[in-house]
Amino acid sequence: MSEQHEIEALVSRDYKYGFVTDIEQEIIPPGLNEDVVRLISAKKNEPEFLLEWRLKAYRHWLTMTPPAWAHVHYPPIDYQALSYYAAPKSAAEQAEIDANRPKSLDEVDPKLLEMYAKLGIPLHERAALAGVAVDAVFDSVSVTTTFREKLAEVGVIFCSFSEAVHSHPDLIKKYLGTVVPAGDNYYAALNSAVFSDGSFVFIPKGVRCPMELSTYFRINAMNTGQFERTLIVAEEGAHVSYLEGCTAPQRDENQLHAAVVELVALDDATIKYSTVQNWYPGDEHGKGGIYNFVTKRGDARGNRSKITWTQVEAGSAITWKYPSCILRGDDSVGEFYSVAVSNNYQQVDSGTKMIHLGKRTRSTIVSKSISAGRSQNAYRGLVHIAKTADDARNYTQCDALLIGDRNGAHTFPYIESKNASAQIEHEATTTKVSDDQIFYLKSRGITEENATNMIVNGFCKEVFNELPMEFAVEAQALLAVSLEGSVG
Amino acid sequence: MSAPMPRAIEPIVLPDWLRSALSQPASTRIAPSDQQMMSSEQFLAWGLPTARDEEWRWTSLRPIARLAIADAKGEQAAPADDAPHLPHALVIRLVGGQLQPLPKNVPAGLTLTPLSHAHEIDRAAAFQPSAQGRNDALLALNTACATEGFVLDIAANTVITAPIVLEWLDNNTRSNHSQTRVLIRVGANSSATVLETTHAPLQSTHWRNAVSVIEQGANSQLTQISLGLAGDARLLTDRSFVHLARDARYRSINIQLGGQLTRREIDVNISESGAHCDLLGLMMPRGKQVMDTHTRITHGAPHTTSNEQYQIIADDAGRGIFKGRILVAEDAQKIEAYQNSRNLLLSNTAEIDTKPELEIYADDVKCSHGATIGRLDDEALYYLQSRGISRSNARKLLITGFAQEIIDALPYPELVEQMSALMRAHLSDAP
Repeated sequence: MSEQHEIEALVSRDYKYGFVTDIEQEIIPPGLNEDVVRLISAKKNEPEFLLEWRLKAYRHWLTMTPPAWAHVHYPPIDYQALSYYAAPKSAAEQAEIDANRPKSLDEVDPKLLEMYAKLGIPLHERAALAGVAVDAVFDSVSVTTTFREKLAEVGVIFCSFSEAVHSHPDLIKKYLGTVVPAGDNYYAALNSAVFSDGSFVFIPKGVRCPMELSTYFRINAMNTGQFERTLIVAEEGAHVSYLEGCTAPQRDENQLHAAVVELVALDDATIKYSTVQNWYPGDEHGKGGIYNFVTKRGDARGNRSKITWTQVEAGSAITWKYPSCILRGDDSVGEFYSVAVSNNYQQVDSGTKMIHLGKRTRSTIVSKSISAGRSQNAYRGLVHIAKTADDARNYTQCDALLIGDRNGAHTFPYIESKNASAQIEHEATTTKVSDDQIFYLKSRGITEENATNMIVNGFCKEVFNELPMEFAVEAQALLAVSLEGSVG
Repeated sequence: MSAPMPRAIEPIVLPDWLRSALSQPASTRIAPSDQQMMSSEQFLAWGLPTARDEEWRWTSLRPIARLAIADAKGEQAAPADDAPHLPHALVIRLVGGQLQPLPKNVPAGLTLTPLSHAHEIDRAAAFQPSAQGRNDALLALNTACATEGFVLDIAANTVITAPIVLEWLDNNTRSNHSQTRVLIRVGANSSATVLETTHAPLQSTHWRNAVSVIEQGANSQLTQISLGLAGDARLLTDRSFVHLARDARYRSINIQLGGQLTRREIDVNISESGAHCDLLGLMMPRGKQVMDTHTRITHGAPHTTSNEQYQIIADDAGRGIFKGRILVAEDAQKIEAYQNSRNLLLSNTAEIDTKPELEIYADDVKCSHGATIGRLDDEALYYLQSRGISRSNARKLLITGFAQEIIDALPYPELVEQMSALMRAHLSDAP
């Protein structure tokens, strides 16, 4: 019995990052109609083609219904009660002037910097020590960007999305919506209509990005949906590793986050996209928390291109997220490594899609889920082998660890093959932390907490190994936070 | 930049003959009248499911809407010459869904009653599975329209060693479709084997929408064998609802070779401790055949086990579909459930879709599933060829070896032999 308590204690944790920063916000009144879409576009001074694109997406969104197939339950969302644009005041003015951005950290609102410090993200320090360029997104408008010059030297473009719309409209026009079309799904259509800001990365031909690119997203304003739009393009032979991490302040009302991430890899290009997600999951009674309805998709367009998704998902009340790869180029490679931890009343429905179109395309899926409390944790994945994908290869492994007897672990893999030379393997297991393993480790003088810690860490090792150095540390720290409270 | 918007899936327009079947006088139908009414309304509201429905993502029911109407002078169905012939079998024949007179050799402890003459309680039991909450249009249609069916009772403490053969001869002389309902009850400590075969004319297409309800008493044993024999044009949608009491053992072996479209659903509810089920299946779609099996095993009580193995071999433009769900309810601890879906895809115009699912709400369980879709092993082929076996023979050897794993699980040596021969013939026949 005590073992049971110990294990339960391992994953029960308080949310460390619950606070609200009091910065004057500029918010468009709640509600969504064509005028709001026009207003967002006008505020950002967008070119005509983008406004047209937004309106087309909005009109299509009106004809759609929210997806109901996921293994998650929540009350219907009133989209007319949400605000669709918010920006820190000073930054919003800058967005209009654009040229007048803060030149150094001194010009940034000190309260904002304080908030990052509370989160353990000392921007300048981190940037200097780790050599990471941080494009910090505070709600909707990018506040500061570092290491811009260093990247510019090699021709890498790393800036906020709204900035890219002005500085590189040709690239935006060429690639926006080519991976996730405006009408792809309900949330992607909503995002396409009202997206606020995000990051744009362009790695030119033959360039290996000299540093890991990183951005921090934070949701702040009350009742404001956050609609990030990220686009990463790696030209022929380019290489980039992109890191994304998030935390959000504690709040009672559910907040919607419907982001879209598009990756394009041309011939011989490699994109590695890593996420540590720790948004507010709601309290121990299932009240509040973020709705994380995200569409992430990579298009391995070129021959021999490679896209890797790595994610550690610990937060959000509801996660609906399927980072996918379209393996279009011959010999292209798609990878998905995921750890999803759920506790209390969290609901996770996450997985990946691997669409094999090119010849000799290969994909690997490793998904680990840990469910505790009264949470529901589902893997949902698709492996599709098209007629054209000669000698395609897929390997999938989905393991679930159950802690406590009031939660659920589910696996819903879709496997479709239309090519006789393809080989697909899928395996899945569901077990609890074995009493035998705990007993063995205890008999070797290891405390129960450490034993469980070791087992859970070992369970996730395959995925942590795939994370970039900086993130692997953060992920382990996150797990350590999850394991807090088990001492004594 | 402007990718096309996804296209909507058109609903299936209900054909007139199906609408008129729903408006037949209630007295000719066998479900309790209140259920008939409700199910009829439900079906009309839902219509035939399309790919929009998650359960019908891979299988299209559009061929049903294209069925020709009944033809009184149409082709008669007769058991094929190569249908399995088992000595001592008790053969129950149903022509166009209608029960034919029983043979003389009915063993003691076995009773067979047409549903139209069955007691009200038995009829209620046969129509117990409700389409409500399941959103199951075909079950609703069956409840609304079922005109044929029977109750097969095996008394407690009865061991019947001879196979009970249900021979369905589906033809279009009375109607182009039949809605049949069967209730099989196996009493406590009893044991039986039920073998179902379906035969239909080669040319004209008949659709049978069948529902079987199986109730197994404590410590009973039932083997249910479903054989879809080669070479006819039938459409079959068939679902079994199996309910297992304490320590009961249920074994299902499902082998599909023929038919234009076959969709089987097996829903096993293990609601008491000690019970076990085995689900085995082999589907070999060729030509333009579509073969689909959906299984669902619900572990509703602790200390229950299940084992499932399904294999598909798809060739030509055939399509094989398997979806298996294992559900472990809250507090159903000490469960062991294994599921294996292994598939061979032999042609680039064929397609295999598989979806092994685990849905687990208890923690002290051992559950796993595996799924593979692949081709014949190049090295094995090379090895056989290096021993002087031609490539086509080597292929055949490997494919039959793969299929044999399921066929060998059949009871009765005669049956294994006859089905092996049918399987080999199915492989070599041109589509």
